[in-house]
Amino acid sequence: MSFFGFDSSRGHPAHGPGFGTAPDAFASISQHRGTGQVDDDEGIDFDDTYDGLGDQLEEADDDFNDDTFGGGESKNEPVGKDFDFFGSTSKVTGAINEEAVRYNRQQPPPKTTVAHSSPPKQDSKPYRTGYEAYKNPSYIPELQVDPGLWGTGPAKPANDYGFQQSQQGEYGSGPSQQRSSGAAPKIMMSLEEVEAAMRAQAKKPTPISEPQQQTQAPPQFSIPQMQQQLPAITRDTHQQVTTPYSHAMAPQNMNAQHPAAPPDFGSGQIRIQQRPSQQPSHHKHRSSQILQNEPPTRANSTPQIAPNLQATAPQQILQRGQNMPHQAPDAQESPRPRQILQNPNRHSAQFGPRTDGAPPSAQIQQRGPVAVPNGTNPTPVIYHPSQIMNLPEEERRLYLEEEAKRAKRNHKIFLLSKGNGLMTPQDKNFITRIQLQQLMTATGNVNEPDPDASLSEDFYYQVYNQIENRPRQNPQQPLSNFAQTYLFRTGGRQGGMGRRYRGGDSHMQRMEQQVQRAVEAAKAKPKNKQLVIEGSLGKISFSNAKTPKPLLNIRRHDSSDFASRSSGKKPQVALSTTDRKAILKNIEAVYSTLMKMEDHDRRQPPPPTNESDTLSIQAAAEWQQTWKDLNEKLWTDLKVNEPIMPESASLHPFIAFLSYPKGKKAIPRIFNHIDENQRLTILTLVLIHLDIIDVVRLAQPQPHGSQPSLMAREQVDLFLQTVMPSLFSYVTEAPLVVVIGMLGLATERLNMSAVARTRVGLEMLTMVLSRAAIIRAVEAPEDEIWNQWLAVYNSFFDTIEPLLGEIFPASVNAGQDQYVWQFLAATGSGANPEQQQRLVLAVKDRVMETLQQSKTLPPEMASQRRGNVNLFMQAIGLDVDLLDG
Amino acid sequence: MADSGDVDAAAVSEPLDLVRLSLDEIVFVKLRGDRELKGRLHAYDSHCNLVLGDVEETIYVVEDDDDEEETVRTLKKQSEMLFVRGDSVVLISPQAAS
Repeated sequence: MSFFGFDSSRGHPAHGPGFGTAPDAFASISQHRGTGQVDDDEGIDFDDTYDGLGDQLEEADDDFNDDTFGGGESKNEPVGKDFDFFGSTSKVTGAINEEAVRYNRQQPPPKTTVAHSSPPKQDSKPYRTGYEAYKNPSYIPELQVDPGLWGTGPAKPANDYGFQQSQQGEYGSGPSQQRSSGAAPKIMMSLEEVEAAMRAQAKKPTPISEPQQQTQAPPQFSIPQMQQQLPAITRDTHQQVTTPYSHAMAPQNMNAQHPAAPPDFGSGQIRIQQRPSQQPSHHKHRSSQILQNEPPTRANSTPQIAPNLQATAPQQILQRGQNMPHQAPDAQESPRPRQILQNPNRHSAQFGPRTDGAPPSAQIQQRGPVAVPNGTNPTPVIYHPSQIMNLPEEERRLYLEEEAKRAKRNHKIFLLSKGNGLMTPQDKNFITRIQLQQLMTATGNVNEPDPDASLSEDFYYQVYNQIENRPRQNPQQPLSNFAQTYLFRTGGRQGGMGRRYRGGDSHMQRMEQQVQRAVEAAKAKPKNKQLVIEGSLGKISFSNAKTPKPLLNIRRHDSSDFASRSSGKKPQVALSTTDRKAILKNIEAVYSTLMKMEDHDRRQPPPPTNESDTLSIQAAAEWQQTWKDLNEKLWTDLKVNEPIMPESASLHPFIAFLSYPKGKKAIPRIFNHIDENQRLTILTLVLIHLDIIDVVRLAQPQPHGSQPSLMAREQVDLFLQTVMPSLFSYVTEAPLVVVIGMLGLATERLNMSAVARTRVGLEMLTMVLSRAAIIRAVEAPEDEIWNQWLAVYNSFFDTIEPLLGEIFPASVNAGQDQYVWQFLAATGSGANPEQQQRLVLAVKDRVMETLQQSKTLPPEMASQRRGNVNLFMQAIGLDVDLLDG
Repeated sequence: MADSGDVDAAAVSEPLDLVRLSLDEIVFVKLRGDRELKGRLHAYDSHCNLVLGDVEETIYVVEDDDDEEETVRTLKKQSEMLFVRGDSVVLISPQAAS
């Protein structure tokens, strides 16, 4: 219907403040007009029609307000009379026209409004211009919006503007604005028409205008509202403007002019504030006006014009002309925003009267009631400052005061209502519910009689509960929350209240419920600060403002805790000694001590020559003491006495010590500075760990016959050069008992197969076995001890026999098996005849191979090989030559 | 008898004591002039003068091609024993024997 052919059926879409609102209002009007039902709007619930367009509104379009309104109006308090409407307007005419055409072409789907929001807004402004309408009641029918008119709109604007401009020039700002508003229609009309209109205006009798004004007031036009308008005027005359202009010029300004725009909260005020500047001008110019309208008419018209002028952008003026019929709505507009202010519940009812094209009669009818209230007001309805002037002093003062109060209040409301309309009631409901739920969760209502209460919002819980069919724990509890919730929900649905009521009702109920619960929970809470749920492992503690729930709970260990901890830590330290760094440290400590001891040795005082030399004796004693201390320190550094943990994954510190070249190298030096017991201890330690010491572990023959790694071989060589001689030097002097013990230990604890396959292992065994043989030969040990030895030896032999075939390294050709023959010789020398037999059987093949191979070798090497084999053969009473034979 | 803590203190009381732990171990030494050494550390002093055995010295040489492309060439030298003056030592790193 309306100028741009809006779809009349569409609801008022936009809601938010700002530009977007404009189209909204417009649409609503058009809708009414299209339907022709004045009361239709009553049936429309805002919530139902809200299509969310408000969210899409761009607030950014406010940027050009200054351009439109002459710039920085907020700074210059008074709106000048010399506002260059045309100039400002012309800047945007192009866009306006384009938009207009665009609207014509598109019968817009409702959603397009966002994009086109600005043009309709501009168009809507004409409503306010009602100014002319009431002046020429007869005119209204003619001016009723004809969509056809719009088509011409875009083509003509230049002319129209020109016309306007000239008018402005003629009349000065104040009158010119009036004029322009009057002239605006001409955009759509021919010049003649305009002139006619002007003439008609001039002729218009005062009485007519008066009633019309009243009629224009919408039904909602409450007295106060009217008063507001009036007082505003009065104030103007008195220059009582108290409110700053800044907000008046806010983006909402544009909207404010828009009748339907809900966010126009400030509109009422805007008018009030702006009026002052313009109205006086009106008055001044009125007398000199070319049209020479009669004062009364003017008086009536001013109030309305003023609003229009102030807020209306230049475009509005343009459009005003086009929409003469809309002038009536204009009057309504002012009240409407105010109503919105006072009644946040929106404007649904207000749109009714807003029929664009509604015949004047209809408008009058609607507005009739308004007029009555106005009349009832003790103070006469004042439309023009002059009227006020005519009032008795007392009344006038009363008026002014009242108006001042009202304005003040309105301003306050305005300030408070900036955010109004951002959220729909549903939004608010929703937020409130969320907040309440959070409150519930935070406070926890565990102490409520009904443990399910906190779960009542959980749909899945409810379903689960139903499935489980849990019996009611509390018979007094009338119904489970599930039931209640469902009752509420379904009840809302079945209530026949209509869709829109359902949400609100249930929301309200639920909110009440929740509040109740929250309060109960708050009451009950202080009693328990913790909740222990049966079967759970922990406690749930609740927080409140005074004792917030601690997110971190770090307990300080008391001393006993600490003690146990440190005691528990010790083994870790011990373990860590096997770390590379720790081992290296140990080694360095050993070397430090070693150097000190060696240094100390050099300072050994000469042995006292006679017993009377107490000085030298004392020196010797001190030296001895220091030596002991150093020895003790060395012993500690060696970590030999660390407990042996066979199951431990880490090496014994001393074995680790030996795994480093410098550790091995230290052994000969160490052996110089330790006593026999300590040497024995070291020997035993090495023997016990013989199967895991690096020189055995890493030197295991590779399955495919390749040699161990170079590093391993180096280690083995180093071990044989450094450690073995030291050990050997001890063993060569060891008593039989020690030898027996060593062999027994080796047999029992060692992984003999690992030991026997390596040179170090075999040489160690050889060392022990040969020592026993030497003891037997040299010292003629007692039978008892010797029998012990035999027992140990027998068990050793049984262990080693199955391995005899594997103890030879590599192939026969390598010629590196001397130590093996030595071992076999040592073994054979201690064996009884039966064992020797087995020995021969086990290695016979190797013997033959070696002899065979030696024949192919140069005599030198051959004799060496034969000598190796013969070593063994002779140990068992045979000779290689026998085999040859 | 000193406890282990004393031992630790004695072993490491200054940075160079950490170098001491690498005595007789394979160390990696970076030198000024794009040189690197890898060898067994026999001795050192407070100036980081080092004596290394079985050293492999790596020298990085940057050469400009005709195309002005820079290529890095490495030269390797083996030395049985090497004295390294400490002022050219950039870093000493223990190198786990491989």
